[in-house]
Amino acid sequence: MGFLTPALLAGASLIAVPILLHLIMRRQPQQLTFPALQFVRKRQQANRRKLNLRHLLLLALRCGLIAGFAFALARPTLKGSGLRGKEGAPLAVALVVDNSLRMQYIHENQTRQDQATEMARGLLTKLPEGTEVAVLDRSRATSGFAVDVATAESRLRNLQPESRPRPLEDALQEALELVSNREDARQEVFLFSDLSAEVWTEAAISALNETLAEFPDIRLYLVDVGIETPSNRSLGPLEFRQHILRPGEPLRLDVPVATAGSDNDPLIELYISPAEGEPIKRGQQIVDLSDDGQGQAAFELDALPLGTHQGFVQLPDTDPLMIDNKRYFTVEVRPPAEVLLLGEQRSDTLYLRETLSPSSLGEADQTTARFKCTTDRFAEASRLDFADFSAVCLLDPPPLSEELWQSLLDYANDGGGVGIFLGERARASEFNEGAVTQLLPAKLKRKSRYETYLRPRRLDHPALAALSPYAELIPWNAVPVFRYWEFDTLVGDAYLIARFANNEPALLVRPVGQGRTLTLATPYSDPPNPRGREPWNLLPLGEWPFVPLMNELVGYLSQSDNDSLSFQAGETVSLNLPPSQRVSSYVLYPPDGQSIRRTLPPGDDAIRISTTRNLGNYRVSSGGASGQLKRGFSVNLLPEVSELKRIDPDALMEALPKQQVRLADTLTDVERYVDIGRSGRELFPYLIALVALVWGSEHLLANRFYREAAA
Amino acid sequence: MPTVEKYLKPEVIRQIARLDLRAQFIVKGFLQGLHASPFHGFSVEFSEHRKYTHGDDPDDIDWLVYAKTDKYYVKKFEAETNLTGYLVMDLSASMAYSHEQELTKFEYSICLAAALCYLMIHQQDPVGLVTFGEKIVDSLAPKSKRAQIGNILSLLANLEPQDKTDIRNSLFQLAAMLKHSSIVMIFSDLLAEPDEVIAALRRLRHGGHDVILFHVLDQAEVAFPFEGLVELKDPETQETIEVDADAYRSEYLEEIEGFRTTYARECRQSGIDYVPLDTSMQFDRALMEYLINRRNWG
Repeated sequence: MGFLTPALLAGASLIAVPILLHLIMRRQPQQLTFPALQFVRKRQQANRRKLNLRHLLLLALRCGLIAGFAFALARPTLKGSGLRGKEGAPLAVALVVDNSLRMQYIHENQTRQDQATEMARGLLTKLPEGTEVAVLDRSRATSGFAVDVATAESRLRNLQPESRPRPLEDALQEALELVSNREDARQEVFLFSDLSAEVWTEAAISALNETLAEFPDIRLYLVDVGIETPSNRSLGPLEFRQHILRPGEPLRLDVPVATAGSDNDPLIELYISPAEGEPIKRGQQIVDLSDDGQGQAAFELDALPLGTHQGFVQLPDTDPLMIDNKRYFTVEVRPPAEVLLLGEQRSDTLYLRETLSPSSLGEADQTTARFKCTTDRFAEASRLDFADFSAVCLLDPPPLSEELWQSLLDYANDGGGVGIFLGERARASEFNEGAVTQLLPAKLKRKSRYETYLRPRRLDHPALAALSPYAELIPWNAVPVFRYWEFDTLVGDAYLIARFANNEPALLVRPVGQGRTLTLATPYSDPPNPRGREPWNLLPLGEWPFVPLMNELVGYLSQSDNDSLSFQAGETVSLNLPPSQRVSSYVLYPPDGQSIRRTLPPGDDAIRISTTRNLGNYRVSSGGASGQLKRGFSVNLLPEVSELKRIDPDALMEALPKQQVRLADTLTDVERYVDIGRSGRELFPYLIALVALVWGSEHLLANRFYREAAA
Repeated sequence: MPTVEKYLKPEVIRQIARLDLRAQFIVKGFLQGLHASPFHGFSVEFSEHRKYTHGDDPDDIDWLVYAKTDKYYVKKFEAETNLTGYLVMDLSASMAYSHEQELTKFEYSICLAAALCYLMIHQQDPVGLVTFGEKIVDSLAPKSKRAQIGNILSLLANLEPQDKTDIRNSLFQLAAMLKHSSIVMIFSDLLAEPDEVIAALRRLRHGGHDVILFHVLDQAEVAFPFEGLVELKDPETQETIEVDADAYRSEYLEEIEGFRTTYARECRQSGIDYVPLDTSMQFDRALMEYLINRRNWG
């Protein structure tokens, strides 16, 4: 409670007057002669008590009257802003509108953002003359006070949905700091938002609390434009096995589906958009939803030709929040990966080469093969430039020269994949020192003679994931392993992806620089009947599952991890350009149909694009019809946009300082709060009515009490 | 049509200074107002004829006289037995009280006593006067001569309310004083302890006297018309009490009503006529009471 004219409260000290009068100047009663006093006397005692009570009541009424007058004239206000000394000062108001994509939720033919701006504009009309208004949103751009109310209004009208909003507490902090600069004005911040639980995290609330504590004079009004029980269907981020496909590799993508407030199993459609023309539907599925409304669709597309392919997955049905019903994707089918197979003899590479690119396909079909294999001997290896290859596989390597190991290490550091298939020729002593130790996942211990077979427990690693659909069908024990290398403790970042049946490590991965090495503890080059010794295993003879397994392993080695083609809104996109695609300028085709010509600094090997606020598929091209560069990428919305769960308003208000923050549902609430916040709820009318009442009672009582004797 | 009935009202009587005239007016006004002659049926002997007046019983018309004179005359009778009456006046200071009334209780009582005296002498009844304060102050032996009216009225006119009273003592004294059965008419406000007064009244009644108790109170004492905060002072004891009249009125009325009821009950049980009066009432009530009583004696 505050007072507009607190000085007048001093008037309450006049209460002393009636008390003094009561004590020293008691009015004399009318004196009368009355002979029948004996009847009066009988009940005199009770009467005197009544009389005293009435005296006190009269005194209390008179004191109350004076105090009430003083109190009313001091103009008390209820729940006012409490900004003493700022009454009558101009207002400094910041309107913060949550313009994240979630605010596109449609209810009663109006998006939440439209409603928020409408309420904010309604509020603008109520603000008094001379109010300074700042309009802020969740975009990254900073803003200041608008020149006038009309400018603020136009800014509100033109608010665009923000696909990559900054945290709400940041926007609020900016608003609070902005209005706090107007020290002479009364400072108020209005937030129009949907009270999404995703925004109001504990961290956000505590950050806001801290900011509010810095500016205790500022009032914050939360205007809730959210829907109590939202219903929505949404697609989660698409899950790719890889964005870069090789010929023959199918495109597999998983689509998470989530629904809230809807029971029907949704239909999901997959479209491929050619560079020109309408999108073509390539698949559809009805997803079975679990009890909690979650589900997953899986699509597989075979035989995509070389080049960049873009498309989208969508929920064709309409729902209140449409923005999360569509997810975009871009994949590239690149020419066969160049793989270098090195063996002691060229014959050692035979099994793997035939596994990766069977000669039965013929030369003509080599372009449709996933790999293009080059074979050579270790002795010749120093002549080769490993950078020409996506992966290098060492088949049963003997101790090699330090230079060769070093160049392999450099190759891996630069992003190459090195496969090491250990076998008879390896020597623990030589392999446990020098550069090779940085490629191997652990020190070699000894050759084991324990007969076993490969038995991966899990197939979730990318190198094995392709086999996972058939996990139950694979007869791993049909292909025996007689000998294998045992390892010491794994070094730091190396990890195990498959074991033998006896639980010994079989397949290990070690990230090296930007690349990686993959070590198999037994060779894939041993003939079934080697001269002078027992074979290490019969893997090359077991067509199933080792042909696909080897394809996946080498495929994993030849991947380039940093070639992501799917980005989130607002993220800076970086497309790596191989030497053959390096250009000096290119044209960017964003989803809105424009074309933007850009130049690239000479020698730059990547295209960087930061204007990715629009969702959809972007294309980048250069070189005209000859098509030196035809790439693309997809920009999808942030997954949290679909988080429609609301925070409990009471809990939120509980967590925020009560004296500074108010919650409103409607424009009326807003206006009421503004009125109250501006000067508090004036109690003057009520108080003056009360004073009148007290006055009346006092008058009545006093008249009855001291009635003049009739003339 | 203005009649002499107006003289039954205290406010009119007040304007008449002489007590004898007041008494005449009251009695005439009273008799005029009666529809039936109050003297009918009294056991009296014929004394004279008088002109028929409106209200006389036609049975009393002397048709022989009518035959001779062609005028209506009624036969008048004379009381066979003489009834001795005593007017007993309370001289207490409280009787001098009046609040917004024309007459004090004392004046009212005097007027009433004078009227009764007049009426009784008219009936040839001997009338005496006794006044008392703390004891009997004056007494005038009863006589039925016309001159007695003058004696009594002159004494009454000169009476002044005194100080304190002792009704009980005075009445005991009176009872001892009266030798023959008489009709004792007491005029008092009875502001004393009721039990004692009643005991004295019973003593009086026990002596074979017929007692009419005119309980004269001021109108203010009956209605308690005060408002607001008042300080009340007893004229006899000078005691003061401060009360809020409005809040107290209902309680006071209960008390005074109880007081009167007590007297009425006790008097009825003892065969005493109890006539509650206040100074705003007309005199006829008191006179009628006397006449009824008188008739019973007849």
